[in-house]
Amino acid sequence: MMMHNGSNGYGNGVMTSASSSTATGTSSSPSATNAQSQALKTYFKTPEGRYKLHYEKTHPPGILPYSHGKSVSQITLAHLKEKSTHSGPAPSTSASASTSSGVRYAAARLLGVGGGNGSRTLSFVGGNGTSKAANGTSRSSTLAGSNGGHSMLNSNYDGKGTYLIFNVGDTLFISDLNSPDKDPIKAIHFSNSNPVCHAFDPEAKDGHDLLIGLSSGDVYSASLRQQLQDVGKKLVGAQHYNKEGSCKEGTGDSSFPVIKDQTQFSVAHARSSKSNPIARWHICQGSINSIAFSTDGGYLATVGRDGYLRVFDYSKEQLIGGGKSYYGALLCCAWSFDGKYILTGGEDDLVTVWSMEDRKVVAWGEGHNSWVSGVAFDSYWSSPTSDGTEENVMYRFGSVGQDTQLLLWDFTMDEIIVPLRRCPPGGSPTFSAGSQSSHWDSICPVGTLQPAPSMRDVPKLSPLVAHRVHSEPLSGVTFTEESILTACREGHVKIWVRPGTSESQSSNSEAIVGTSSKEQPLLPGKTSVSSYKSVHV
Amino acid sequence: MGAAGSKLEKALGDQFPEGERYFGLENFGNTCYCNSVLQALYFCVPFREQLLEYYANNKNIGDAEENLLTCLADLFTQISSQKKKTGVISPKRFVQRLKKQNELFRSYMHQDAHEFLNFLLNELVDILEKEAQASKSDPETSSPSDKLANGPKNGLANGPQKDPLVTWVHRNFQGILTNETRCLRCETVTARDETFFDLSLDIEQNSSITSCLKNFSSTETLNAEDKFFCDKCCSLQEAQKRMKIKKPPHILVIHLKRFKYIEQLGRYKKLSYRVVFPLELKLSNTMEDADSEYSLFAVVVHVGSGPNHGHYVSLVKSHNHWLFFDDENVEMIDESVVQTFFGSAQEYSSNTDHGYILFYESLGTGNKS
Ligand SMILES: [Zn+2]
Repeated sequence: MMMHNGSNGYGNGVMTSASSSTATGTSSSPSATNAQSQALKTYFKTPEGRYKLHYEKTHPPGILPYSHGKSVSQITLAHLKEKSTHSGPAPSTSASASTSSGVRYAAARLLGVGGGNGSRTLSFVGGNGTSKAANGTSRSSTLAGSNGGHSMLNSNYDGKGTYLIFNVGDTLFISDLNSPDKDPIKAIHFSNSNPVCHAFDPEAKDGHDLLIGLSSGDVYSASLRQQLQDVGKKLVGAQHYNKEGSCKEGTGDSSFPVIKDQTQFSVAHARSSKSNPIARWHICQGSINSIAFSTDGGYLATVGRDGYLRVFDYSKEQLIGGGKSYYGALLCCAWSFDGKYILTGGEDDLVTVWSMEDRKVVAWGEGHNSWVSGVAFDSYWSSPTSDGTEENVMYRFGSVGQDTQLLLWDFTMDEIIVPLRRCPPGGSPTFSAGSQSSHWDSICPVGTLQPAPSMRDVPKLSPLVAHRVHSEPLSGVTFTEESILTACREGHVKIWVRPGTSESQSSNSEAIVGTSSKEQPLLPGKTSVSSYKSVHV
Repeated sequence: MGAAGSKLEKALGDQFPEGERYFGLENFGNTCYCNSVLQALYFCVPFREQLLEYYANNKNIGDAEENLLTCLADLFTQISSQKKKTGVISPKRFVQRLKKQNELFRSYMHQDAHEFLNFLLNELVDILEKEAQASKSDPETSSPSDKLANGPKNGLANGPQKDPLVTWVHRNFQGILTNETRCLRCETVTARDETFFDLSLDIEQNSSITSCLKNFSSTETLNAEDKFFCDKCCSLQEAQKRMKIKKPPHILVIHLKRFKYIEQLGRYKKLSYRVVFPLELKLSNTMEDADSEYSLFAVVVHVGSGPNHGHYVSLVKSHNHWLFFDDENVEMIDESVVQTFFGSAQEYSSNTDHGYILFYESLGTGNKS
C-alpha cells in the first residue's frame, strides 16, 4: 500500500517537523468543494434583476463524450432573415482589398493537436453582422442540391429564425434557438476531421453565410439555409478551401512563399488573384487561439499560445500594438461595440481589459478559479445610471472559465484607480474619448508589443456576479438582446433570459426551475472575491 | 528496445539535441514511482549539472562508501555518458540502495512518488551536510563547491535553523515561507519562517494551479478549538493566519494532494479533479518586488483510479521538445498533449492519467547563485 501514514502531503496542518521539507497548505479554501457538490441553480441575481435559465440545448447522447485531443464546443448564433427580404448589395464602404470570393473572412491556423483550450479561430470581417463584404462573383449556380424538394424542415424552408450552431466531436449541430426542444434540428457529420470553429454573417452576398473550420486546416463556406433544407447528414453546396491545410508551409502547391523569419509578422498575398485564400498572415510562433474583428471591420485582434494580444489595422496589414498576458497562453478575445476596448482571457485566470486609446492594459478582472475560456461585451446592456455622455460610459461584460463559472463585470474608466500613473509632461491624465493622442505614441510606439505588466501596476476589477452555470468547464459566452448564452466544452448550451422579459418566457423557465435556494449577487469589495485583492496590494 | 530508441531518434531527426541522452529506465517490479521522479530530476538541468559536478570533484573521497548520492550520481553519469543517444538503462544499484536505506520502499507494493522525492532530497541534503561536517574537522579534504556561503539575501534571518549550510540541493529546491499570525485582540503579528523543498497544495474540482496557490496563501481564521497562543496576551486568542512565499525557490516543485483521507470511508481516495497547470506560471504572492516567472519542465503523472495501485509516468521538456517517459519507453509528444493530464471534469471518467507533481524552473537569473 501507499505510505499515507506520514505527515507529508496528506494532512491539513502546516508541517512542523524540521526534517520534513514539504510545505503543506491549509484547507481553508472558501467553500468551493461544497459548491461542487451543490446542484446547479437555475437563475442568478444581478442588480437589474434575475437571469433565469430559459432553454437548454444539447446533442443526442449517442455522440461520443469529450475525449482527449478532441475539439472543444464553440457556439455561433445565426439570424436568418426571410428569404424574400434578403437585401440587395449592401453599401460597400470598405476600401480594403477586394477578393475573388464573395465571402471575406480570416481563418487562423491551429497548430498542434486539438487546440483543446477553447479556440475560436474563424471570423468574418466585421463580426457583428455589419460586414462589409467586398463585391465578388456569385458561385450559387455551381451549388449542388440547391433546389431541395425534400425538406424535412418545411416551416423554416424560406422563413426566418435564429439558430444556434455548435460543434461536438466530428459533428456540427444546428438548433432552433427559440424552440423549447433540447435536441438539434440538424446534424452535419465530417468524416475526416473535426469541426473546431465556425462563424456566420447574414450579409454574405453570395449566400455563403456560414463558415466552418476543421482541425485539419480545411475551411468550408456554405449557405446555412441550404443546410436546413437538406435532409442528409453531409455539408451540402459548400466551397472547400485550404484542403488538408494546403496553404501550409513546405507543400508543393502552396501559392505562398516560405516564411523567412518565423518570429516576425509578415503578410504574403497569393500569387494568383484567382486563388483562395487570398493572403497569408504569419502572426506568431505557436497556435493562434482566437481572432476577432472590430465591429467596423477595421481592426483585427489575435491571441495565442505565446500569450500576446496583437491588434492589426486590417486594411493596412499593419501591427499597431498589443501586449503580453500576465503569464501563459491567451485563449479568447472580444471587442467592445465601440472599438475602444478589447477583452482577453487566458491561462493566468485573469480577464484583461485592453484600451485601444492607451494601447495598454487598463484593468485586470480577478474572480475565476481557472483559465478564462470565453469573454464578451454585453452590447445590449446600458447602465441605469448612465448620463449618456461619452466620458462616463459604463460597460458590461461577461466571462466564462474552466472553473464552470459565468462572471459578469461592470467597467468604467472613471472608477478605475490607476496606481502610479505615469503622466508625461504636458500630457493629459484624463481618458477622454478620441483617437490616440500623440503623447501616448511617444510612450508606446505604433507596432510595439508591451511586456507583461507587474501585478501591482494594474488596477483590479471584482465581478458583479459569479455563478456556476454548468458542471463541465466552459468554452463560450454570447450575449443576445434577450439572453446570455453559455456553452461548455462538451456541447451543452444554456440560455439565460434577461430580467424583465415577457411573462410567457419566464413561465417557461419556471418549468425548469427546481429548487429555489438563495443566491446573492456578489458586490465588489464585499465578498470572498475581494480577499484576493489583499494579496496583491 | 533498440527499435523504440531508433523511433525516437527518427522523430527528432536532425533536431536531436547535441550531447543529450534520452534513456528509459527498467522497472524492477513497481518501481515506476522511482523511475518517473528520476527522469524529472535528470531533466532538471541545473540539478543534474551540479550533481555531476559535485560527483566529479568528490569522486575520490566518496570512493569508500556507497550512499544514495553516489548511486544517483552514478546513474546520471551512466546515462549522460552513453554512446547511443537513446535506449534503456537499469537503475538497479540505485533502487537496491534505496530499499536498503528505507524499509518503506522495500516492498513490491505501489509506492508514492512524492514520498520518494521528498525522501531523496532530504537524504541528499543529509549526506552533503555530513560530508561538510567531516571536511570541517578535516580541512585538508574540504571541497570548495559545497561550502558556498549563504548570501545576505537568502539568509535564514529568523528561521529556526541554527546551522544554515546551503548545499547545491538547497540552492535548487529550497524556498522560504513566512507564516504570519495576527492576534485579533492585540493585533500583534508573529512571523515564522519555514523552508520548503516543495509545496503541497489542496486541490479543488475544475480549478487551476494559480487558484490552488492563492488558496494556499489565503487568510485563515484560527478560532474555537483552534485558537492561537499569543505571547503578548499570554493566552489563547482568535487570530488570522496566512502563508506568504518569502523567497521563491529556483526549482518550484508543486505536489497536488490527489490522495485524500476520507473519514467516512476510513481510507484514502484518489481525487481525479481537473486541475489545469499552465506552461508558464508566476508567483505573485511573494514578498519580493518582482513577480517571479517559472516555466514548466516536468510532470510526474499518476495513472490509475485508486491510491493503492496504479502506475507512474513522467512528461519532460528538454530543449523545447516534450517527451513521455514510461519506464523503458520514451516517446516524443506534442506540447498540446500535456493538457490531457489535467484530470477529469467529472468524477467518473475513463481518463485516469493525472498530473501529480509539477516541476517549474525559474526564468529569472536572480534566484540562483
Ligand atoms: Zn495578542
